[in-house]
Amino acid sequence: MVQAGESHTTKLPPSQHEFADIIHRLEAGGSMLPDTPENLMQIIGIYKAYAVPMDFYWRDLLYIAERVFLDPLPFFKYFLPGEYLQRHNHYAGDDAELRVWRGEASAHPELLAFIEKGETIKMPKLLHHLFHDRINMEFAEACMRAMLWHRGMGGKFDPYLDTEEYQANADRAIRAYFQGNPLMSALYKLFPDMFIEQCRQMSYYANLGLFWEVMAPVFFEMSDLYDEGKISSVPEAMNFLVNGIFAVANRPIYHHVYIRGECYEIVPKSKGFVWLYEAALPYVEAVFYRTAPFRGTKSYNAQAGQVPVEQKDFHYGILYADVFPVGTAGIPPTLLMQDMLHFLPQYLVDYYQGFCRGEEDMLIQLGISFQRSMYNVTSAVIQALRTVLCHPLDDSNSEHLQANRDFFEAQLNRFTRAEYNIRDAARLRDIQSREYR
Amino acid sequence: MLSVLVLIPILSAVIIGCLPDKTVSASRVRLVSLTVAGIVLLWNLFILLKFDITNPGMQFEEYLPWNETLGLSYHMGVDGLSILMLLLNSLLTWIAIYSSDKETERPRLFYSLILLVSGGVSGAFLAENLLLFFLFYELELIPFYLLISIWGGEKRAYAAMKFLIYTAVSGALILATFLGMVFLTGASSFAFDAVSTQTLSAGLQLLLLGGIVLGFGIKIPLVPFHTWLPDAYVEASAPIAILLGGVLAKLGTYGLLRFGLGMFPQVWPVVGPTLAIWGAVSAIYGAVVAIAQTDIKRMVAYSSIGHMGYVLLAGASGTALALVGAVAQMFSHGLILAILFHLVGVVEAKVGTRELDKLNGLMSPIRGLPLISALLVLSGMASAGIPGLTGFVAEFLVFQGSFSVFPLSTLLCVASSGLTAVYFVILLNRTCFGKLDNKLAYYPKVIWAEKIPALILAALIVFLGVQPTWLVRWSEPTTTAMVASIYPLEKTIVSQVTVRY
Repeated sequence: MVQAGESHTTKLPPSQHEFADIIHRLEAGGSMLPDTPENLMQIIGIYKAYAVPMDFYWRDLLYIAERVFLDPLPFFKYFLPGEYLQRHNHYAGDDAELRVWRGEASAHPELLAFIEKGETIKMPKLLHHLFHDRINMEFAEACMRAMLWHRGMGGKFDPYLDTEEYQANADRAIRAYFQGNPLMSALYKLFPDMFIEQCRQMSYYANLGLFWEVMAPVFFEMSDLYDEGKISSVPEAMNFLVNGIFAVANRPIYHHVYIRGECYEIVPKSKGFVWLYEAALPYVEAVFYRTAPFRGTKSYNAQAGQVPVEQKDFHYGILYADVFPVGTAGIPPTLLMQDMLHFLPQYLVDYYQGFCRGEEDMLIQLGISFQRSMYNVTSAVIQALRTVLCHPLDDSNSEHLQANRDFFEAQLNRFTRAEYNIRDAARLRDIQSREYR
Repeated sequence: MLSVLVLIPILSAVIIGCLPDKTVSASRVRLVSLTVAGIVLLWNLFILLKFDITNPGMQFEEYLPWNETLGLSYHMGVDGLSILMLLLNSLLTWIAIYSSDKETERPRLFYSLILLVSGGVSGAFLAENLLLFFLFYELELIPFYLLISIWGGEKRAYAAMKFLIYTAVSGALILATFLGMVFLTGASSFAFDAVSTQTLSAGLQLLLLGGIVLGFGIKIPLVPFHTWLPDAYVEASAPIAILLGGVLAKLGTYGLLRFGLGMFPQVWPVVGPTLAIWGAVSAIYGAVVAIAQTDIKRMVAYSSIGHMGYVLLAGASGTALALVGAVAQMFSHGLILAILFHLVGVVEAKVGTRELDKLNGLMSPIRGLPLISALLVLSGMASAGIPGLTGFVAEFLVFQGSFSVFPLSTLLCVASSGLTAVYFVILLNRTCFGKLDNKLAYYPKVIWAEKIPALILAALIVFLGVQPTWLVRWSEPTTTAMVASIYPLEKTIVSQVTVRY
């Protein structure tokens, strides 16, 4: 889909954009992240470390959406039953409809080993849970809420949640779920909107679960290819993602609930919602750009006018995040980084030990690697969108090339806006340097 | 027994100074010095265990005739006023050596001078002879001058010279006063017991007391003789600042109580009101100027001026409770200032600056200095007199003991204590809290060797805060006896003269 950058020669004069170098790199089929072996090692290592907890996230998100549903006291929603751990990923294993990863379809062995014992000692599950010696689903839920809260980011899935058809589907499921529970049934009669809104949230659980079901095997496969020496540059890694995006673009996005053995289709597959437009793009917009649970030291002082009026101007995503923990509160650099820490490949552990405070600040170092890797994922999305909306990179028509450039410049303009200090918050400039750790 | 506290450091200083230059590494010299300081500290603790807290007089006395013609004798003893100061000196010497850089340049000279200072200060606290006190008092002058001028900061030469001049003047005033006390009273020697100023006229007593107050006032220092302090404290390296603030300032307050209050009981109540006002002014001045500082080390230095004002107020009040408070304040202040200077030193070493407008977010748990910041908060709280910490105990005793005698001055000092909280909140807010800039914050991690001194001092600050008996029990009988010797104001000779007119 995307041509290798080295052979491409642009016919356009150099860009005058603030990020001209990066635009030229994108025009040459490259990534926003500079192509260095060090960057490649970091992002692939992080993809692998991310994929293992992600293998838990998608399973548990679907478990919550499909089984826990509107349980008013969902104390055990993070205690994933064996059925969901064994659930076959649609993109891994022998019975995959499209085999992206050559590994097993059930939960990753490293994940199963971690669930069994955690990082401490073997003890009752509840103690592992209370000590946070587990996969922190709170991160996944925060991502889901980011998507729910930033509604209206394009696509048809989100508007569908406000339709009468959806409400009727949800109503059927809610009534069935609370059948024999007079208290909850009465509450539903009194506050129907609240329950419908909870149901919308459940639909986003399903949406994100289905999105990550694809991404986990993609990242596992990239890690394996890197280990085999088959991915040797950042653009190759990006191109693998672009190709993956197109391969699974039409994967259906739906929300089914199973109540007493019966399936209730709240968002039916027949609606034709697809992975790229209803899950991937809203996810990137919500979590990468707008809001993410990466509580860094970015100020959220609304009275000082630092919080944008429009949700579309929010810039608290991973691409802007200062992954340093907040000074006063001591909030760690997100639970995701803690989750990834358990599954870092040894080469990345060795790498981090050589910089900054070594093992002591590995959470921050891997957080910044994660930021680099997400810039690479965003580059893949930008290249994929360019493929859909614009022209090939080796197009001989200069007008088409100019259109491509305009597209790239428009994308990078999101990192140059002066309002709300967005320009300084964007880490695009930082990731160009290897010293940013 | 007591001579060990003086002789071991001084002899060790000589031996370390003579070690072959190339064969002994800096870290080994440091280890030897640390061992010596540790032995002295242990010996001090042993003396503390043997110390009879019910006895108000001198204990473990040692006497050796030295120069009878001059009236100089090697006469040592320890009482409730000096026992804690001795402990403070040996503890802070150990802390200072421990917190010093393992790769200090010219290590033999550096550690020799520190041990020399330690021995000199111990000698001054132990001396029972005015001349012997003076000799020990002056013994630390040149070592401190060298320690500041060789291992100090950018303006070390200026700071060291200023320190030298002020301290030399202080020494000259004290020597002149001691000579005056002996010659005017016709004492046969410089021994404490031999000198009785009560035989002198009120005018002469006031004159001599003035010499004592000015001499030691420079050393403490009291406003307006304080201008050497910020420069010396700021330019000195962290271990030396610990000794300067933690030990040297105490020599001033000790001298004021020992020789001012102890040897001029007749006129002390007369100058008391002036001293109380002076103490309050010093306290307020120190706090207000500290608020205006942008350099955290300078801020801590000015806080010292303020806190020494409390000791002057307590001494001026002359009540038993206030004097117990004065001794407690001297010890507490030594601990608190030492931990503050150590922590500021660590912050400067890691971050590369002491400027408030550049420091930020050090509480950050992973890339900041969280433990150092937490201890800085604790130290700031202790300095501001927050209950549960040793600073509170000392300040409460001082204020409680002084209020009945000098209510206005006491209230001013209480207000100053409030201002202490203000500048420490400023310091902590800007240094520890807020945003840690990830473009700059690639600070090296704090190693255990840097944490241990602060942890020891913090443990003592908390322990003495919740168990204040361990702080006050040592000095109570001695200070009570000292107070008993003070003449009531109506019986002082100045009052009698005034009444006659």
